Amino acid sequence: MAPHDHHDPAALRAGFLAGLPTLFGIAAWGMVVGVAMVKSGLTLAQACGMTLLVFGGSSQLAALPLIAAAAPVWVIFATALVVNLRFVIFSALLAPHFMHLPWPKRLLYGYISGDLSTALFLQRFPDYAPAPGKLSYMQGLMIPNWCAWQTGSLAGIFLGSAVPTAWGLGFAGTLAILCIMIPLVANGAALCGVLVAAVVAIGAHALPYKLGLLLAVLLGMLSAMAVEETQAWWSKRHG
Amino acid sequence: MAEWEIWAVIGLLALSTVVTRSTFWMVGHKVTIPPRMLEVLRYAPACALAAIVGPDLVLDGGEQLQLTVANPKLLAGLVALAFYLWRRNMLLTILVGMLAFTLLRVFHVFGAGG
Repeated sequence: MAPHDHHDPAALRAGFLAGLPTLFGIAAWGMVVGVAMVKSGLTLAQACGMTLLVFGGSSQLAALPLIAAAAPVWVIFATALVVNLRFVIFSALLAPHFMHLPWPKRLLYGYISGDLSTALFLQRFPDYAPAPGKLSYMQGLMIPNWCAWQTGSLAGIFLGSAVPTAWGLGFAGTLAILCIMIPLVANGAALCGVLVAAVVAIGAHALPYKLGLLLAVLLGMLSAMAVEETQAWWSKRHG
Repeated sequence: MAEWEIWAVIGLLALSTVVTRSTFWMVGHKVTIPPRMLEVLRYAPACALAAIVGPDLVLDGGEQLQLTVANPKLLAGLVALAFYLWRRNMLLTILVGMLAFTLLRVFHVFGAGG
């Protein structure tokens, strides 16, 4: 362990305080996913296993309607990978800060690095130079984040099983996905891709094995790229 | 789905978390993503989420297209969309969307069934 990685209580506390305002939101979001899991028909044990092992709200929410529709296992896996692709980009930014750690720790910290912890860490430490307290600061962000998520999620699982299905609480999961999606629509090209993906998914919903979903993602991405290319070509010609 | 299949799905979902979040922590600088590839990757998650939300809002349980005001999910979804664009707050959006959904459904506004 490098000297600047020694336990640093001040940095740990600073990380905790930076993440504190987000913890309530994380717990509530975990609760929504917890309710959605139970309301989509998972048993108590399955829902608890899912939250404790998967630890990924968007991929869990994406998988639930597919599980309910008995989609093939590989389609669900492929969908989860696509939904999680943003983490590849986040981890490419975050990982270089900690490459000196032994691999089991890197595996663990990568696994528990959520969207918000990553964003807050990169705000505090924008460059890769070794700095004292980096590791403690990250732990101060990630560990409370994990605890808040799991607490909220387990509360949602038990709340969800106490509330009648007729209340339609599962719809909160759909609304949550909507809220994660909107900030990802960063420009016109992405908007076009999102609209194409939604329309194709609706039109192709009757395709076997839920393949309409993967087709929709593919065509949405291609249209976003096409719009981007056209814009680049246009501004080159007229700029 | 059989019990074991659901556990298999849970295992694979956990794998998808580890693969996407930890790969760069494991391989580090040995692999760099070409910029073009990063651009394509950037669009994928939003498209995947849209492909889940879209059918959820406009198809009813019987897989029939419901593009009318009598569809409480569609209306509540649009309310939530507008509210999120206005306030940019996820929790409030979920609360407002659920409130709209419940009111439309329970009071049969626009002939919405529940």
